[in-house]
This record gives sequence, C-alpha cells and structure tokens, in this order.
Amino acid sequence: MSLTPASDIVGSKIRSRGLIGLLLVAVPVLLIAWMVIYPIISAVIETFWRPNDGGTASSFSLETYRFFFTDAYSLANLQLTLWTTGLCAVILIIICLPIALYLRFATGRLAAYVQGLAIFPLFVPSIILSYAFIRVLGPNGMVDILLNAAHLPKIRSPYLTPWGPLIGLVWDHIPLTVLILIAGLGAVSDASIEAAKDVGAGPLTRLWYIILPRISNSILVAVSFSVLGIFSAFTLPYVLGPAAPEMMGPFMQRTFRDLYDPPNAITQAVISFGFCIIFGLFYVRSVVRNQRGRA
Amino acid sequence: MKRRSFLASAGAAAGLTLMPKMAFAAANRIDWYTSSDQNIIDFWTNVVKPKFEAANAGVTINLVDGGDSAGVQAIAERAMAALSSKADPQSDMAEGFDTRLPKGGIDAGLWVDFSKAGLSNYSKINPLAFDVPTSLPYRGSQVLLAYDTTKLPADKAPRTWADLIAWIKANPGQFIYNRPDKGGSGGNFVRRAIWEVNGRDPSKFTVDNFGQFGAAALPPAWDLLKDLAPSLMDQGAYTSGNTQSIQLLSQSAVTMIPAWSDQALQAIKTGVLPETTGLVQLTDLALAGGFTKIGVFSNGLNKDLALKLCDFVLSEEIQSAVITELGGFPGVSWDYVSKELHDKYKDVIPASIPVFPGGDWEKNINDGWYRNVAPNVDRSK
Repeated sequence: MSLTPASDIVGSKIRSRGLIGLLLVAVPVLLIAWMVIYPIISAVIETFWRPNDGGTASSFSLETYRFFFTDAYSLANLQLTLWTTGLCAVILIIICLPIALYLRFATGRLAAYVQGLAIFPLFVPSIILSYAFIRVLGPNGMVDILLNAAHLPKIRSPYLTPWGPLIGLVWDHIPLTVLILIAGLGAVSDASIEAAKDVGAGPLTRLWYIILPRISNSILVAVSFSVLGIFSAFTLPYVLGPAAPEMMGPFMQRTFRDLYDPPNAITQAVISFGFCIIFGLFYVRSVVRNQRGRA
Repeated sequence: MKRRSFLASAGAAAGLTLMPKMAFAAANRIDWYTSSDQNIIDFWTNVVKPKFEAANAGVTINLVDGGDSAGVQAIAERAMAALSSKADPQSDMAEGFDTRLPKGGIDAGLWVDFSKAGLSNYSKINPLAFDVPTSLPYRGSQVLLAYDTTKLPADKAPRTWADLIAWIKANPGQFIYNRPDKGGSGGNFVRRAIWEVNGRDPSKFTVDNFGQFGAAALPPAWDLLKDLAPSLMDQGAYTSGNTQSIQLLSQSAVTMIPAWSDQALQAIKTGVLPETTGLVQLTDLALAGGFTKIGVFSNGLNKDLALKLCDFVLSEEIQSAVITELGGFPGVSWDYVSKELHDKYKDVIPASIPVFPGGDWEKNINDGWYRNVAPNVDRSK
C-alpha cells in the first residue's frame, strides 16, 4: 500500500495517530528501559568496574571474567548448559516439526486431540512437572513398574543426570515450538502443495522444496525462543539435574544466594547474556525481515 | 451533581482504605510475631490459639507472620526503640527468633528472663535445649536417619558413624543425601562428616573460627565423602532437597536417607512414607539439629498474658501436639509427654542435639562440597 496524503487534513490525522501510538508504547518501553535495560547496563559495568581491595577506589578490571574462564568448574557448567541447550533445540525441532505438519494438514477429531495434547505442557508449572517426572521416570517410578509388570529390566533412570533436565525441558517447550511452527505453516498455501502433488512431487520433495523454504524463518524463531528459555532455565535443572556440573541458572542462583558472591554471579549472568543475545539478534533480524517483506 | 457527589464520596472512601492502618496494642490481646513457615502458623492457628483462648475467656492471640527473621527483627527493633522512649511496643511475643538480636537488647532488658519469670512448667524444659535465658525453647527438630524396615531390620540399623559408613559401602546404591545447600538433612549429614574427621567434637567449631581452622578441617571431610560417593545411589547422585530424598525413600529407590525428624514424622503420619519406615539417630554423635525459641518483650502491654501463654505452650497438651500435629520434638524433656508417645519415638529421642555454627562455615562448606565432592565422581562407569 502506498497512500500519499491527499490533503493536509489527512496528513495531520496520520501524524496525530502516530503520536498516540508513540504514547501508547511509551509506558512499556520506559518500563523496559528502567527495569530491564538499565539493570543490564549497570550489571555489565559492575563486572568491569571493580573496587580495589581496600574498597577505597574502583578501577577497570577483568578479574571476575579471568576467574570464570580459568576455573574448570565454571567452564564445565557453561559447557553443560550449551550441550543441554543445543541438544534440546535439535530434539525440539525433530519432535515438533512432524506434529506441526500433521496439525497443519490434518482435519477432524483426532487432530484436535493431538493439538490439545501438544499444547498441554503450557499449563503445567515446571515445579509440578519436576515432581511428576521423578514419579514417572525416577527410580522405581511408573515406567519401572510397567516394565517390571512386563518382566523387562528397569531403565537407567535419567533423574539426577544431565538427561533429566533435558527431557523435562524438551517436554516443557513443545507447546511454544509447535505453536510457532503452525503459525509459520500458515504461510504455506494448499494450492502450492496441490500443484506440487500434481507434477508428481513425493512427500519428502514437497517438504524440502515447498514447505521448508517457507517456514525457515519460523524455525529460526522457534529455535531462538526455546534457546532463550532453556539457557536460563532454573527449576528443571535444579530439581532434576546432577549436583555437578550445574546449568547456569542454578549455578548463578547458588553463587548469589549461598555463596554471597554477587560479582561472580553477575559475571556468570553477563556471560549467559552474551550467548543469549546471539539468538535474540536472530529473532529481531527475522522480525525486521518479515516486516520489510510485508511493507 | 448527584453523580459528582457520588464520585467525591467514593473517592474519599477509597482514600480511607489506602491510609495506613493505625495499630495500637489492645488489652487482653497478645500480639505474636513469627519468622517460621506456614506449617508453624497453621499449628498456632489451629491448635494453640483455640485451646488457649478457650481456657482464658476474653483473651485473644493476634498471630502475625513476620515473614522471616529480618521481618521479626524489625519488630524487635521497634520494641527496643519503644523501650528507651517508654512507648508502647505493640508487640508481646516473637516466635522462632534469636533474642541475641537486636544487639544490646538483652543488656537493655528488652526480653523477659525466663529463668526468673516463674513459669510453672519451666523446670520441665529439656536441659539440652537451653541457650540464653531470654529464649524459651518449645519445639525442636533434628536430622536423623530414616530407613525402610522391610529391607533393613530395625535391630540391624547402624547406630554409629562407622557402622553407617560400613553399611553404605556394603549396600551400594541404597543411600542418598541431598546437596548441602539445598536442605538441612543433607547439609547436616555433611556436617556430621566434618565433625567425624575432626575428633567428633562440635565445640571446636564456633561461628567465627573458620579463618583459623577451616582450611585444615574441611579437606579430610571431602576425602571421606568422595570415598563414599561410588556407594551412593547411581554412583554419586545427590538430590536437590529434603523432600526429594523422602520421595526416593517412599519409592523404595533407596533404603536409607538422612531426614529432618519433623518432616519424616509428618511424612509417616500423612502416608507419604509407609508405616514400616524406621527412624534412628547415631549414638556416638548425633546429626545436627536445633530448638526453636520464643521471646517475650519485657515492655509489652500484655506481658503477663504472654507469659501465661508460654507456660501453656510447655504444658503436656501442647507439647504432645508438637509431636503429633507438627512432627517436631518437644521442648520439654520426653518424660513430660504422654507415655504412649514416649514409647513410640524412643529410638529418636536424642541424647544430645549438637549444633553446627553458621557464619563463614556455611558458604565454605557449600562451595567446598560442590567443588570437591560433587564433580569428582565418574558416574558413567
């Protein structure tokens, strides 16, 4: 659409509308600036601008970062977090893409049930999920009982191993990923699928050449969202994960609250933020690209 | 105009509700503040308050949740200020609070000295529980070992540290404790190990001697716990809280865990743990625990009633309820609760309740454990 103002009257209307729009977004923007952006900036500065030993003056120092990146324990925690996040993102796409494709193209009762089931984790608080997980997948949990009834050996329980939080986090993030992918699949028109079918394209060819190019953006957004959520996850790694190495969420909280060590906790947070911002930028880029495409 | 006057009066009414509520101490109303959790407030609301008010017509107890220690300390500081200005402190009792705070309060006479208050039940208090005479111990809890008697007969349960270690090693995978910072049951198990390698003498550890003693005291304990790790559940798994340990015991995934006495007793009572759960305390040196205390403000308007309430709390009726309703230990000696309860819990009646100090010990034990004990286990084998 390219409407040029026909007269001054229309122009001023648009301008005043723009002003109201700005006023409407001003409150949330100011709140974010005050309660999110400002603390981030002040935290980042705090990690670089450290008081000296006597506490009399402050100077530029990389001491807390040097400690983090030379401390094997901290690095192991970071590595576990990256491992969990990366693997979660891959598993999520592998699980959610078929569900989303099914829900996009299927109709009828069953599809409604599948959708309900896929969205269900959204309504389960993670603390409840954690305890249910222990009951089901924990040692002598429901799975073991069922296996035992079928005279099969017990499973090696993932509870208190890195696989515990991984399984929990994947389950927890299924709804959001499925919803984003379904929204993306809305851009794939039935007509193009039918056309491809008519010229004899098999299901895999249709997926690869028709569907995936249309939803690559949604996949990127879905991955960014789940990565952002998983990287800073707290409850599931805390309850289901091993004592060591820890994921960054519990590690930060423990450093801050149990070790009374805010500088190192903030440094851990800034480092986590550094990794997350990469995926944040992916998301922002795709939104901007989307809007440009629409304009 | 009508609409406008309506708006004005509605606005005034709304304004009134927003005004800070003025609080005055009322005669015959005991203003009680606590730092404890909801289960304790429930206990006072459902047990102590109705019973006391029924026995003393016209008296009410005003139960106020102070949030945490800092919250109750703010109340105590207000009372301290009121003491010097001879004003009304608007508070009578503090539950779950250390009367050593605020600083200088005891010297200024802020707290009632119970040894001179003439409570009729004072002599019944368990001698192990006394701290400062301005603190009245009325309930306790302690970490002990909870185990499955169907897998481990009660007469074979370990009763010394050496027996416990031998049992854990002889039964790999059957014991688990939680991370020391995530709950006192695992925390005090770790502290018991620290006592063990330091001559089993809790008096060596004080709140401010980590600096001189800590570097030598902790490493041997880490070695002991590392040595134990391969024999724990999953070759060195640690739960993330008291509750999760209890859950593993209830799922029969392990045979023995360290647990808080009150949590374990309550879990048995509510059926979370089966009736066949056994509880045992080490006899060579118990796992750590402590008593919860009450302080009474000497300048409170209802001081005499508050003291009457203190005496009531130490009565057999309430002390038995501490065991049955709260799952805690009584503040009085076990001879002063009903014989039936005494017999039922005779295995967990402590001969001593050692306490481990906080201060710098706390964070160094927590971090030391995470860095030395938790990661050095290869669980993939």
